[in-house]
Amino acid sequence: MMNLIIAIAIGALFGAGIYQILRRNVIRAAIGLVLLANAVNLFLFTAGAYNGKAAAYTTALEQTSDPLPQALVLTAIVISMGGFAFVLSLLYAISTRYKTSDSDDVKGLKN
Amino acid sequence: MENWLLLLPLFIPLAGVPVTLAFRKNRNVQPALALAFMLTALAFTLALLRTLLTTRQPVTLQMGLWPAPFGITFAADLLGVFMVLMSQLVLAAGLLYATGSTEKVVQYPTFYPLFLALAGGLTGAFLTGDLFNLFVFAEIIVVSGAVLTAIADDRFGVEAAYKYFYISMLASAFFLLGVGSLYVAYGTLNFADLATRIAANPSAPLAMAGLAFLTATFLIKSAAFPFHFWQPDFHAAAPTPVSAMLSSLVVKQGVYGFFRMTTLLFPDVELLKTLLVVLGVMGVLYGGFGAAGTHNAKRMLAYSTLAQVGFILVGIGWGTPLSQAAALVFTFNHALVKAAMLMLAGAMASRAPIKSASFEVVVGVGKYHPVAGILFLLGGMALAGIPPLNGFISKLMVFWSGVDAAQYVPLLIIGLASILTVIYVIRSFIKIWFEPSAKVKPKAGDRLIAPALLIVLSLVLGIWAEPLVSLAQSVVAWIGDPALYIAAVLGGG
Repeated sequence: MMNLIIAIAIGALFGAGIYQILRRNVIRAAIGLVLLANAVNLFLFTAGAYNGKAAAYTTALEQTSDPLPQALVLTAIVISMGGFAFVLSLLYAISTRYKTSDSDDVKGLKN
Repeated sequence: MENWLLLLPLFIPLAGVPVTLAFRKNRNVQPALALAFMLTALAFTLALLRTLLTTRQPVTLQMGLWPAPFGITFAADLLGVFMVLMSQLVLAAGLLYATGSTEKVVQYPTFYPLFLALAGGLTGAFLTGDLFNLFVFAEIIVVSGAVLTAIADDRFGVEAAYKYFYISMLASAFFLLGVGSLYVAYGTLNFADLATRIAANPSAPLAMAGLAFLTATFLIKSAAFPFHFWQPDFHAAAPTPVSAMLSSLVVKQGVYGFFRMTTLLFPDVELLKTLLVVLGVMGVLYGGFGAAGTHNAKRMLAYSTLAQVGFILVGIGWGTPLSQAAALVFTFNHALVKAAMLMLAGAMASRAPIKSASFEVVVGVGKYHPVAGILFLLGGMALAGIPPLNGFISKLMVFWSGVDAAQYVPLLIIGLASILTVIYVIRSFIKIWFEPSAKVKPKAGDRLIAPALLIVLSLVLGIWAEPLVSLAQSVVAWIGDPALYIAAVLGGG
């Protein structure tokens, strides 16, 4: 049951993230990026949760979850947070320079 | 074999980041210091290469002395060190160019630290033996490359950096999905361990999903067709010393990923190789036409990178020892030539009335700079593959390996498409050096010593190609025998 709920949650996050990424508004696209990054992190997290009940240091081996993906997710969360901060700062620079939030109007580089 | 020498080429540029940052107030010392760090790292890379060639054993190092599949492994085989040598050679030239650059961006206190971070990221990506660690180094490259572009003098630098960073975040998402899929399927992320487990059970659930996600990631990283759309914008708007690195080295990270995938991780997946050949041929065509149709010298060279990466992917896709050697030689030569050409285009742009590489602006600028013209013509000949430049050797090897593998249809297409290279190179040369312009006045600009060194090296490697070709052949002998790499990582410890 728990597996199904997590799978549906990850799927919903992916769907929402991809939908927002395809929008023309640059801020919505940035939010989509965050949703997608979190969907990926959850997916990576579930990669190690075999039964997901006991902590990694217990001796009940058949119930422990794998600690490595949790460590990977921590790294990935930090990286995506830094990345998102940088995306927002770029968006700030773009919105002051181009006076728009429509990605179709950000086209100064066409030749 | 275990050896601490492995860490020095990686840690010296990374150690240079805080040190050069500490000297940010001292504008005279900081550039020289950055260059000194880079050259020291290059010297240790050469020492590492010498160790590898004499012992004929990959050098490995387990972080924290955790044995191989559990700890983080660094493993230098000949392929990795070959790529590191190429990167650090060109990065040193890039730093040399930056010290003589008139752009405002090199005056910023964070320019040299970020440049060294880029160097450390590239070196680490080529030397790591762990898939997740590769992801972390790829992120270092992406962040430093994007920040260096966002602070460009070009007023559209922010837009270019945004496009690149956004698409790279998506590539990171794909990378993590691939990492997760492979971890679910095989329970390990160590390259050597992964290779043995994939060979034992190639059809584990999610294994093919992992393969597909990694392929998408490396296609974005190498800016191959059809994932190239951000690349001309990004490479054209970046500051010249940075765009020379992006176009020559950062795309090679994806090329390296495909080398590892087709030789170590998934050597039996024919579909991947076919895909690489098809996308490579499309890239050669699209890049050739794109370069011939653009109105900006730097943008033209960025499209040319798309075409040249196409040649490399075709060489990897054919998968014969000969074509792999051709792809390696092509990778090395392209890095030298493309960096030199972008530096020359940038140097001419810095001498134009307003600073731009657009053909309308740089037209006729070459009148007062005949030496730069000779260098540009030599570099263009190398891009087009005309003897006696190194580009001739790389294209000859690709065509020869295509005949050897009896792949006549792709061969015919890329052969015809490479004529486009001659057209756009000659066109830009005539525009900059032969068309008269009334607006041009003699003006001081970026120093030409770095591109001159790279072009001389290209000329030397064209006339005396034997050392590079035999090195590439030994690399192919190494990657043709994955057992060597696996034994070095898992066996020793």
